[in-house]
Amino acid sequence: MKKQNVRTLSLILCMFSYLLVGAAVFDALESETESSRRRILELKRTEMKKKYRLSEDDYRQIEQVVLQAEPHHAGRQWKFAGSFYFAITVITTIGYGHAAPGTDAGKVFCMFYAVLGIPLTLVMFQSLGERMNTFVRYLLWRAKQCLGLRRTEVSMENMVSVGFLSCIGTLCVGAAAFSHYEGWTFFHAYYYCFITLTTIGFGDFVALQKKEDLQEKTPYVAFSFMYILVGLTVIGAFLNLVVLRFLTMNTEDERRDAQERASIKRERGLLTMGKHSHPLTFTRCCGVTA
Amino acid sequence: MKRQNVRTLSLIICTFTYLLVGAAVFDALESKKEKTQKKKVYDRKQELMNTYNLSQFNFDELERVVLQLKPHKAGVQWKFAGSFYFAITVITTIGYGHAAPSTDGGKVFCMLYALLGIPLTLVMFQSLGERINTLVRYLLHRLKKCLGMRRTEVSMVNMVAIGFISCMSTLCIGALSFSFFEGWSFFHAYYYCFITLTTIGFGDYVALQKDHALQTNPKYVAFCFIYILTGLTVIGAFLNLVVLRFMTMNSEDEKRDAEQRALLSRNGQAGGHNQMRCTPDLPSSSSAASGCGGGSGNSGVGGAGRGLRNVYAEVLHFQSMCSCLWYKSREKLQYSIPMIIPRDLSTSDTYMEQGEAFSSDPLHPLHSNGCICSMHHPHSAISSVSTGLHSLTPYRLRHSKRRSSI
Repeated sequence: MKKQNVRTLSLILCMFSYLLVGAAVFDALESETESSRRRILELKRTEMKKKYRLSEDDYRQIEQVVLQAEPHHAGRQWKFAGSFYFAITVITTIGYGHAAPGTDAGKVFCMFYAVLGIPLTLVMFQSLGERMNTFVRYLLWRAKQCLGLRRTEVSMENMVSVGFLSCIGTLCVGAAAFSHYEGWTFFHAYYYCFITLTTIGFGDFVALQKKEDLQEKTPYVAFSFMYILVGLTVIGAFLNLVVLRFLTMNTEDERRDAQERASIKRERGLLTMGKHSHPLTFTRCCGVTA
Repeated sequence: MKRQNVRTLSLIICTFTYLLVGAAVFDALESKKEKTQKKKVYDRKQELMNTYNLSQFNFDELERVVLQLKPHKAGVQWKFAGSFYFAITVITTIGYGHAAPSTDGGKVFCMLYALLGIPLTLVMFQSLGERINTLVRYLLHRLKKCLGMRRTEVSMVNMVAIGFISCMSTLCIGALSFSFFEGWSFFHAYYYCFITLTTIGFGDYVALQKDHALQTNPKYVAFCFIYILTGLTVIGAFLNLVVLRFMTMNSEDEKRDAEQRALLSRNGQAGGHNQMRCTPDLPSSSSAASGCGGGSGNSGVGGAGRGLRNVYAEVLHFQSMCSCLWYKSREKLQYSIPMIIPRDLSTSDTYMEQGEAFSSDPLHPLHSNGCICSMHHPHSAISSVSTGLHSLTPYRLRHSKRRSSI
């Protein structure tokens, strides 16, 4: 079978196995906690319903109001700062969901906004990431020269280590900053940065949601936006270095196959022509019989 | 400034402008509703507090319980089906957040899982997407043949149109199914499919959260998983067709710059015979055609006697000339800023057609970027002047004709 087809099939199989393994492990890690927590909370709910003399219907009404009020706890989400934050989560595909368009017009605009914005952002991060990699390669080369090393070429291993260290560094800087400003533990802040910069964006931890931070703490708001964009660039640079080549593998193989087919055809043509004429004497032999 | 730097800076400015414009529009669309809704909810809360005789403290207590129970409302999330759903949202980076690991061990595993899973998934979707594109291209080619059309090449426009239509149909099929199974309006279901398949994944709408579907409706669960994965493949195929080439533009330009630098140093070593009319800073000139005169007839003298190395140099020389003229022809065709568009829009199919076109002229070298130079080319060890000049003109016509289909 063609190389590209084998590669594609293996990748599909890999991914399915990966999903199965992941599901099993998450089940093992989280299921028990979930069921015990649920039991405790349901007991508490029954207790409170008794305490405040609420029927099931009453409780449902209160529940509805509470859930509706929830997004408003974090302050105004759709003023300019909040909208900018939302726009970032759309085009980078992070998509926390801490704020989601409530109006239908907002939903429509969101979809159009994403259709143009997501490819633009993808290309921008890869472009900037490539520039950063080139710059780092240059700096490393100069560093090697200055240190008087004999072999000053920058190898792939050098680049990958530098890239990996920058990613870890970015995550740690973010973790330190957000744990301080948001009052999370370092681990939770690190988890937040990781989930954000991989664009997964669960929304279980979201920055700028304490009271009216979006409206009041402007420097912190600016820092958060810059952190997300710069962090995504660093991750993007690392992906550009390591993963991008794999994304174009099938296409390059197809190109090479096509060129081979073309050159084989050409050679065949050359062989049949060669019996009648030599390339360098083409003009002379037009009328020569075999 | 180098082309890559100009390109990168323009992209950064574009993105920031796009964010500012988006923020302004979202503000205009959503701010008012948010304000009125907040007031409404607050009023309702007061009403309920009065009805049931609850103090603020009591209400806060109830609120806490309700919010903590919220993720459990939708059923058991971490049994195998739910965990599989969660694993999908992690490695595809959709990340609804309807379920998120609450234990620290779960969080750690989630991060490690994503670290390996996300690149794997990216590569898998692009790989499969490329295979789908190739199959579609082949089918379209056969269809055109069967219909007895004169020109059976599949153009980029054909491919983009088909890709776009498949994306729209995928979204519509999903919208129909989810509006039926989840009880959403068609528009909301469409919005859900869109947000899912672009991997944004807000989580305001999440499938499989009603009536304990994860545990009780395995067929629907299977449908959802398959829909998400196939939908992502279709979108991935479209991205592979349209966007991927732009992501490698800077790298390809750097590669070409490096080749040219190598060529220049080799020419310098060879005694300076092969003087390029194209100035050495061709790649850094913002107007791509400025440095080339289009004629370098007296370069490459003595190539026949110098072996393969010089032949290679000639081919590279050709390539640099070619890309220079290629940009010239593109400017003439009035494309927008040449540096923003990729250097080589052709894909393997154009190679196939070009390969077929060239089959009757085996002596003419096929360049890696598929372009032909429409000028008096320098001597080379392979092709002689006369054959080259004979065969160039008809191919030049056909070549420029083909460009218009792209």
